[in-house]
Amino acid sequence: MSEKKITVAIYSGNIPSTTFIENLIEGLSESGLGIYLFGKQARDVSYKGDVKIFSTPVSDLKLVIFVMKESLKLLFKDSQLFFKSFRKIRSRKKKLKIFFTEAGAILPILNNPPDIFHIQWAKTVEQYPELFELLNCKFVLSLRGAHINYSPLNDINLANAYRKTFPIIDGFHAVSEAIGNESIKYGADKAKIKVIHSSVREDLLKKSAELYKKGKPLKIISIGRYHWKKGYHYALDAMKALKDDGVNFKYTLVAQGEIPEEILFMLDEYKLHDDVEVMKGMSYEKLIEKLQQSHLLLLPSVEEGIANVVLEAMATGVPVITTDCGGMSEVVKENINGYLIPVRNPRLILEKIKEFISANSDFKASMIKKAKRTISEEFSREKQINDFKNFYYSLTR
Amino acid sequence: MKRIGLVLPDAPQYSETFFNYKIKGLQDTGFDVIVFSGKRSNDKYFFKHYGAYPVYKGKPVKQFFQLSFIILVTFLKSPSKVKNLFSAERKDGNSFTESLKTVYINAHILPHKLEWLHFGFATMSLKRENVAKAIGAKMSVSFRGYDINIFPLKNKNCYLKLWKNVDKIHTISDYLHAKALKQGLTKEINFEKITPAIDISLFKQKDNLGKIKNPPHILTVGRLNWIKNYETAISAMKILKDKRIDFIYNIIGEGIELERLKFAVHQSGLNERVFFLGKMDNKKVTEKMREADIYLQPSLQEGFCVSTLEAQATGLLCIVSDADGLRENVIDEKTGWIVPKRDPEAFAEKIEEVLELTEEKRKIIAMNARQRIEKEFKTEDQIRKFKEFFDE
Repeated sequence: MSEKKITVAIYSGNIPSTTFIENLIEGLSESGLGIYLFGKQARDVSYKGDVKIFSTPVSDLKLVIFVMKESLKLLFKDSQLFFKSFRKIRSRKKKLKIFFTEAGAILPILNNPPDIFHIQWAKTVEQYPELFELLNCKFVLSLRGAHINYSPLNDINLANAYRKTFPIIDGFHAVSEAIGNESIKYGADKAKIKVIHSSVREDLLKKSAELYKKGKPLKIISIGRYHWKKGYHYALDAMKALKDDGVNFKYTLVAQGEIPEEILFMLDEYKLHDDVEVMKGMSYEKLIEKLQQSHLLLLPSVEEGIANVVLEAMATGVPVITTDCGGMSEVVKENINGYLIPVRNPRLILEKIKEFISANSDFKASMIKKAKRTISEEFSREKQINDFKNFYYSLTR
Repeated sequence: MKRIGLVLPDAPQYSETFFNYKIKGLQDTGFDVIVFSGKRSNDKYFFKHYGAYPVYKGKPVKQFFQLSFIILVTFLKSPSKVKNLFSAERKDGNSFTESLKTVYINAHILPHKLEWLHFGFATMSLKRENVAKAIGAKMSVSFRGYDINIFPLKNKNCYLKLWKNVDKIHTISDYLHAKALKQGLTKEINFEKITPAIDISLFKQKDNLGKIKNPPHILTVGRLNWIKNYETAISAMKILKDKRIDFIYNIIGEGIELERLKFAVHQSGLNERVFFLGKMDNKKVTEKMREADIYLQPSLQEGFCVSTLEAQATGLLCIVSDADGLRENVIDEKTGWIVPKRDPEAFAEKIEEVLELTEEKRKIIAMNARQRIEKEFKTEDQIRKFKEFFDE
């Protein structure tokens, strides 16, 4: 592309951010975009490409000095904007500490305006509504999972903030078509929504997983943090039924954090202690190894954007059973590259597992092959970065 | 006059009828009741109330002085009791500091002369197992649902010290006692089953028993917590809706799972039929019960469930899960219906079945339920049983 280099702020509030946002930053910066990062910095980070970091200090004293320094900078640069900003920031908050936190977050952005300000978490629009009036650039908002699918259902203030802000956003990045459609309810313009799928590490495509052999225990795995939306309680219902039916299996649940009472209760109630192995979160490498030792990945969620773990399993060659929530049906086609079942239905989980057990090995091999093809064609890193780049350029043109 | 010390997390507020009834009842039958709670307060109660001394987390210096001072004062007031508790804790293998801490957190109880020290929940007895002996009182404890069914899942063998020291046990259901036996309680320890009771005069039977509104009104009352398993009820409602059966389902209560449940309702396309009414006071709840036709209790676990008693007293058609205490609360096909927990199809089928019953048949069930509550769950009986419990 011969166009002039544009700068994009990837804003999540934290430096470094979550793994997939960090991957995005890396990919975008290496593709020739200028990347700005704002927010609180937890530790040192380094990137290969062109990444500028404007971090806001956390400790009180440093924050006050930082705000004064940034204020002076803005005063000299654009005095009108300086006074406007202070009026805006002061009008909403009363507590001094909150004022400094907010000024500390917003001022560096105003002093270093990017061409595109890309907000990673939709809830930010409720946190800093002033930004949209003060910052003169294009705004992009990512539509991800919970922030769109259920948080606003139970939080009227958040829903109202969405309704107020979404109409003035210049472009939406949707992780799936489904979530894009959901955002229209809050006033997002359909024409401004661009679906860009997340990507999977390419080296996974070269890997393969253990194959299920009849007569041996079926190794089923689920991966993901403990949260009600993950639907693990439905998975345990299904495992209980599987056990009652005399199926030889082992279910592994890999999840970070303390095991919730609900899960403990169900394991005890269903007497599944010997059939279900609960593992703590582990390193990515270990996780992939664990995945490769599994015969079947189960995603029992009631809500997802597009679950990365399903993409990773498909890339690695592990057959998947996933519920049809969020954008999952955009990846998994029933009985072709995986199994797709309705949400909240343990009985169907059970039936699908049995269907998998009795499927012949040719069919299983072709399912694995097709899954790998889906990932390499639609969820490659190259495609993701290119899509983002084109999307950003289309907004600045 | 016999004096009972009742250990609770909080002093019961005006609206908490359960403990208030119990305390009043004991007072009326000639007991002196002192409530020991986790927090000091200046509120006025109709019973004597002492709160625990505060714990200053993250302020070690303040805590040190406070602890030294309170232990000194308590020691001057009742030297032998402090000594007893301290040496009992040491004998149990606790460190010097740990034992001192235990003295501190029980310092509000130690100076009192009591016949019984009763713990309102098994969890309340943790770190207080040696207190009763130290002050020369007998020790008793009440089993509810959570403290026996859930808490030990995370805290294995947490009650071993309790079993060693307790003199008498109050359980609200046979099930809980059986479960405690599995957790190391021995059969030799005396126990009494005293179920919850309700003041029947507050729950007037609804008019037109057995008649069902169009659309039928279904109700559940309870905290929005996973234990109550509202997701199963919501899935059952979806099945009914898919079968084109009309209904309104109201849920009274608040709690941390509201987001989860609202999403379930939204995802199941039930926004027009399922409503979260929030928390309501007792009077409002009785009114809502009288407007309802069917009462659902889909819980995964229940100690006993007072709401289901109230629903039966009101004359509602109760469909409950087979969770522990509920099996003693409702008699299947007689005062209501029991279906397997976590089985939405079973709940939906049962609701359909109840809707298709003749009015006469439904009336019989509702009347049976009311009569059984009147006969077997009277507050007077409960008080009498508690009196006997402590009289021995």
